Amino acid sequence: MTPAGLRDGITVAGHRDRCAISGIGATGFSSNSGRSTLSLAVEASLAAVADAGLRPSDVDGVVRCDMDAVAHNDLAEALGLPDVTYWGSSGPGGAAPGGMIGQAVGAVLSGQATTVLAFRSLNGRSGARFGRSGAVGSGGGGGAGWRPRAGGRGTYDEFFFPYGLVAPGQLFSLLARRHMIEFGTTGEQLGHIALACRARANANPAAQMADRPLTMEDYLSARMISSPLRLFDYCLETDGACAVVVTSAARAADGPQPPALIRAVAQSAGPEPQLGFLFPTLLRDSLTTQTSKSVADVLYRRAGLGPGDVDVAQFYDCFTITVLLQLEDYGFCAKGEGGPFAASGAIDKGGSLPINTSGGHLSEGYIHGLNHIVEGVRQIRGTSTSQVPGAEVCLVTSGLPVTSSALVLRRAS
Amino acid sequence: MIGSPADQPPADRPAPDRPPRLVPETSDPDTGGFFAAAAREELAVCACAACGAVLHPPRAYCAACGGWDTVWRTVAGRGRLYSWTTVEHQTHRAFPVPYTIVLVELDDAPGTRLVGHLPDRPELEAGMPMRVWFEPVDDDGTLLPQWRPDSTNAAVDGG
Repeated sequence: MTPAGLRDGITVAGHRDRCAISGIGATGFSSNSGRSTLSLAVEASLAAVADAGLRPSDVDGVVRCDMDAVAHNDLAEALGLPDVTYWGSSGPGGAAPGGMIGQAVGAVLSGQATTVLAFRSLNGRSGARFGRSGAVGSGGGGGAGWRPRAGGRGTYDEFFFPYGLVAPGQLFSLLARRHMIEFGTTGEQLGHIALACRARANANPAAQMADRPLTMEDYLSARMISSPLRLFDYCLETDGACAVVVTSAARAADGPQPPALIRAVAQSAGPEPQLGFLFPTLLRDSLTTQTSKSVADVLYRRAGLGPGDVDVAQFYDCFTITVLLQLEDYGFCAKGEGGPFAASGAIDKGGSLPINTSGGHLSEGYIHGLNHIVEGVRQIRGTSTSQVPGAEVCLVTSGLPVTSSALVLRRAS
Repeated sequence: MIGSPADQPPADRPAPDRPPRLVPETSDPDTGGFFAAAAREELAVCACAACGAVLHPPRAYCAACGGWDTVWRTVAGRGRLYSWTTVEHQTHRAFPVPYTIVLVELDDAPGTRLVGHLPDRPELEAGMPMRVWFEPVDDDGTLLPQWRPDSTNAAVDGG
């Protein structure tokens, strides 16, 4: 058995600061793109490649989210790539982005590719919608995906769907209720997360909610969707795509943009990953400590950094409660104190930990965690519409609860 | 017991103007025993025959001891309310709102949780005692274990 210290040494020497994100791209975000997910993926990818000062023919690696309708060969064909020598997919779903960057880093450092595109493209509002179209599991939809029997075939959905537990928001509502039971967390505390994201979106012309201010009164008086979560606890179903270019730190240094060094990447399935997808995570010992805790431990160790070193964070925010759990799991406050921490102003512009500076999933758009990486790179470059002065270290997290991933971006010194 | 109208939520049977129920798959090789027990109006969890560990969701291999032999252990249909949500926004045609999803931890298998569906917006409290009942969901004898507050035991332990 390898001693822990040696194991850590190998882990750290493996990738710390050796790769960078050299290009970022995004389409417009809307509720009805009127375009194919392939067209959206191509537009975002072309923008990212151009931003990196490269041509599509320089790209030899493609990584994707396992829920994306666009496969690596689709993108390679549409972009006219001469040869793709590495491809991969990560997930499940929102856990993908950090894992995608990890795959890109692994491909570059192992010599399997030199320039890797990581992308996510979806018509999340006009196309397949979570909880409606069978996007979650096999029997979850009442539309085209309708099946008379739910679950089976290794899905375990037979223990959940027949009870009307069919949408991700209903699961996160059960987590929020449990957090309230254990720690006295309030709806108003969750509201501060929604308000912080909305205020950042109001400064970001590309955000879907750029022109829509939100007050606490608006938040509290909005309709309940699945108690205790209200309308503005939910993210935006979005049509759009984002892409980033990952290459070696040396190559990135030759590009036109300041490189965003990938200080560390991490994935974690945690000690009780559970069977199936999504709903079986309700069977874990604790619902208030998530896979974000175990991925934080791995990430900080690999980065040689801790929460006190983070200048700004882009938290995966499918729901407000998702952020609250991560504030605790990533060590920015003690377990159970996420509510008071969120309400303290710490997560706002000028606070100790400004979050989701583009507006996040809650108010910019839901590109399944890829827009969080794009915004993280902007913070490192100093080009965010809510720039944190002097930001050198940005934490970017990807989904939970099934598994989780994350990365730390750093400005080159 | 299968419910009677007097003391249980109304069976949510398909009606001509109502969508069909979402019926669980009952023939999965790993999980089918749960529904086979339910069809006998029994609540059963999968357990390792060698070390006794509860394996839920059901599976054939016990990672705790390496055993491959499992049994369906009948447990009391009693539990405590662990969490709940009242759904106000309909996402699935089979489930008219409002309804409430409950997450119940079994008294006889600590840490094992099952889900239930209650119509409307019942008054609930963390840790309150819950009791199973078996709801017919098709014409083929499929019974779905459901949970309701247990009025025969009002004690609440705070959850």
